[in-house]
Amino acid sequence: MSEPSGVEPVGAAPSQSTRRPRADWLPQAIIAGLAVTAITVSIILTPSFLTIDNIRAILRNASIVGIVAVAMTPMTLSGNFVSLAISQSSMLAMVSFVAMIGAGWPQPVAILIVILALIVVGIVQGIIVATGLNPIITTLAAGAIIYGVVSEITGGGIIRAGDNLVSWGSSTLAGIPIQVLVFLFFTILVTILMSRTVIGRETMLVGANRATAGISGISIFRVTILAFVIFSVGLALAGILNGAAFNQATARSFPNLTIDVIAALLVGGTAIQGGQGSPLRSAGGALLIAVISNMMVLNDFSTGGRLAVQGGVVVVIVVLLDQMRRRRMASS
Amino acid sequence: MRLGVRRLSKRYGSVQALDEIDFELRPGEVMALLGENGAGKSTLVKILSGLVSPDSGEIEIDGSSATLYPSARSQAAGVAVVHQEYSSVPTLSVAENLVLGQKGVSPLWLPGRLNARAKKLLAAVGLDNLDPRTTVDRLSVAEMQLLEIARLLVRDARVLIFDEPTAALADREIERVLTVIRRLASEGRSVIYVTHRLPEVFRLADRVTVFRNGRSLPAKPVSELDVDAVITMMLGRELGTMFPNHGSFESKPIFQVDGLLASGLTQSVSLELRRGEILGLTGQLGSGASAVIQSLAGVLMPTAGHVQLDGEELSLRSRAATLKRGIAYCTADRKRDGIFAGRAIRENLSSPWMRSVSSGGWISGRRERRRTKEVAAQFAIDVKRLGIAVSTLSGGNQQKVAVGKWLGAEPRVMLLEEPTRGVDIGARAEIYQRLRELCNSGVGIIVASSDTSEILGLSDTIATFYRGQMTRIMAYNEWTEDALVREVMHQESAT
Repeated sequence: MSEPSGVEPVGAAPSQSTRRPRADWLPQAIIAGLAVTAITVSIILTPSFLTIDNIRAILRNASIVGIVAVAMTPMTLSGNFVSLAISQSSMLAMVSFVAMIGAGWPQPVAILIVILALIVVGIVQGIIVATGLNPIITTLAAGAIIYGVVSEITGGGIIRAGDNLVSWGSSTLAGIPIQVLVFLFFTILVTILMSRTVIGRETMLVGANRATAGISGISIFRVTILAFVIFSVGLALAGILNGAAFNQATARSFPNLTIDVIAALLVGGTAIQGGQGSPLRSAGGALLIAVISNMMVLNDFSTGGRLAVQGGVVVVIVVLLDQMRRRRMASS
Repeated sequence: MRLGVRRLSKRYGSVQALDEIDFELRPGEVMALLGENGAGKSTLVKILSGLVSPDSGEIEIDGSSATLYPSARSQAAGVAVVHQEYSSVPTLSVAENLVLGQKGVSPLWLPGRLNARAKKLLAAVGLDNLDPRTTVDRLSVAEMQLLEIARLLVRDARVLIFDEPTAALADREIERVLTVIRRLASEGRSVIYVTHRLPEVFRLADRVTVFRNGRSLPAKPVSELDVDAVITMMLGRELGTMFPNHGSFESKPIFQVDGLLASGLTQSVSLELRRGEILGLTGQLGSGASAVIQSLAGVLMPTAGHVQLDGEELSLRSRAATLKRGIAYCTADRKRDGIFAGRAIRENLSSPWMRSVSSGGWISGRRERRRTKEVAAQFAIDVKRLGIAVSTLSGGNQQKVAVGKWLGAEPRVMLLEEPTRGVDIGARAEIYQRLRELCNSGVGIIVASSDTSEILGLSDTIATFYRGQMTRIMAYNEWTEDALVREVMHQESAT
C-alpha cells in the first residue's frame, strides 16, 4: 500500500528536518527546583531545620529509602515496573541479620550470607518475570510468601541481637552517619553501572523498546536477572543497616518502605514504563521526600497528616513529570 | 452520483501525495482503485474516512457538498472503511462486537436480544452458520473480515471502502468475501475496492480508477479493459536516477539457503546469495517473502532447512545467534521493532554493536562517539546532533537510523524488509545508494519488499513469491517491470 503518512521532507540537510527537542535535563531541573524551594520554605518556617543534628537526621532518614530506590531503578528502567515486595524483602534481610548476630555468628559472615540469600530470592523472582509472568503479580506473591514464612518462624515475636550488640549501626564517620555513606557509595556505583557499562545500556534499551532490543541481539533474560540482583543487594543493605542500628527486628519491620521507595523513584522522574530515568534521580527523589516529611515533623504534623501531604506531593510531581514527558513525545 | 471528488490535493511535507485528483462513484457500483505503492490510494482512503483533511478540492455525496473530516463526520455522511487491520475485540463474542461503538444500544447487554440481532446481521454477510456467542478469537481470518463488514452494515453505510480485504485470505475464503461485496453492491450500496490483485478486479468491479504518482486517470469500465491495459495504466513511472547502478558479483555463494520451511511458507525455499549481490524478494502481503527474511534473521523458527554462511552451517535458533555470525536484520516496522524512539540517535546507532566499542563490559564513550560519527556521516545523519532522541526526527531520518545502525556491526549479510516504507523520495535514494555501496564492499544483501519498482531498481537478482511459494527467480535484466508486476499480482490468470 502507498504510505505517504509520516513522510516528511528530508531532501534538505538533515539538520533542517529535526526539531530542537526539549532538553533532557528539564525534569531533573524541576525536581531540583522543588527541593530548593522546599528547603528554603523549611528554613523560614522552622528555625530548628538548619541544624547539624537535623540535617543528619534527614540524611539518615533518606538513606534507607534512597538505597532501595536506587537499587530498584534498573528494574524499573528495564520495563519491569516496580516490586511490591520491598518491605517484606528488607524485613527478611533485617530479621535474618539480627538472628545470625544473636546466634553469635561473626558479622562479616552474617552480612555476606544475608546479601547472598537476598540475591537468591531476587533471582528466583527474576527468572519468573523473565519467562513472562507479570512483575507486579510475581513480586506481590513473593512478598506474601516471605512475610508468611518469617512470621511463622519468628512466631510474631521480636528477634534480638542479645549480648552480641552491633556497635557500628549508629556510628558516624567524620560526622556522617554510616547509612548516609553507604547510600552515597551505592548511588554512585549503580549510577555508573547504568550509564557506563554495556549491561547498563542494555537495561535502558530493553525498557525503551523490548522488541527492538530483541532484534538488536540484547538478552532480555540477562537484563532482567541483573536488575533483580542489583535490587536484592539494595534490599539486603537496607536490612543490614537497620538491623545494625536497632539490634532487633520483627516480621513487621519496614512497614511503609514499599510505598516510600516507589514514591522516591517516581518523584525522581524515572518513567514507570521504563527506558527513561536514572538511579541518581531516585536518590534525589528520596532526599526530597525526606526533607518534606522532616519539615512536617518539626511543625508537629500528625502521622496521618504527614502521610496525606506526602501522598499529595508525590501525585502532583508525578503528574507534572508525566505531562512534560507527554508533551515532549507529542512535539516529535 | 453517489460520491464525487474534484481536484482534491494533499501534501505531506515535500511529498505531493494527491495532486488534483478526480474520482467518482455511482450508486450500486463497485469501483476498483488501483495503483502502485505511493500512488496516492491510501491518502484518498484516509481523506474519505476522515482521518486526514485535504488541502484543497471538493467532495460531494449524493449531490450535496460534504466535509468528511474528522472521522465522525465521515461516518455520519455514510462512509465506512474495512481496514486491513481488524478492529474487533478478540475476547468478546461476535454478538457483543456487533453492538460495540453503536449509538442507541440499550446499556443492558441482554444476551438473548443481542444474539437475535446479531443473527440477522450475520446472515447479511453470509455468516448464517456462525453462532453469535462465539468469541472473535476463534474465528478464521475470513470470518473476521466478514464480521468487520457486518459491523459496518449496522451503521447503514452508503459508501463502503475495502482496503485490500483479501490480502491475508486463501482462495476459497476470498470467494466468500467477494460474494458478500457483490451482494452489498446489488442492494444499492457503492463500493470502493482497493487492491493489488488484478484477477479480483475483473471478477468483481464494474469500473476501474488508476492512480499514478498522486494523479488520477479517468475511470474506465472493466468490460473495455484487459490485464495488459490495466498494467500499462499503472506503470510508466519514471525511475530516473533514484537507483544506483547494478553491481557485479562473484560466482561463489557466501550464503546458501537449502530447503527452508517455516510458518508462512507452503513450499520449501532454496536460494543462493553471492558476495556483492543484492537479492530482492517480492510478493504481496503474506506471500512468504518476509517469512524467508525472518527465518534467516533468527526471529521466526524454521521447521526445516539448512543455511550455510561462507561454507559453515548457520544456526537460526535465535536472533542473538545469527547476529553473532554477522547477520544484520532491518525490520519492516521501525516504530515497532526498528528503533528506540525515546533514546538518543547515538545509542540507537550503537545498540547492535556497543560491545565492539567496550572493553571488560565498560563502554568507551570516546570510541562510541567516534564510531557512531562515522556511521552517521555515511548515512548523512547530522553528526552534531547525535545526542537527541530519534523520535524528534522525520520518518525518513528515522529509517536511516534503523538501517544505518547495522553498518557499525560490520555485517556479512544484511537482511531488510520494506526498507523504504513511509520514507520520502530523498531519503529513499540515499538508502538505496548506501545499500549498493555496502554491497560493493562485499556484504551480501537480501531485501524483501512489496514495492515492485523498488525491487526491480535495486536488486541484481529477483525472486517472486506467491502464497507461501517462491514462484520464479531470475537476474534483474531478464525481468521487465511489466513481467514482475504480472508475476506478483495475477498468478491465478497466468496459470
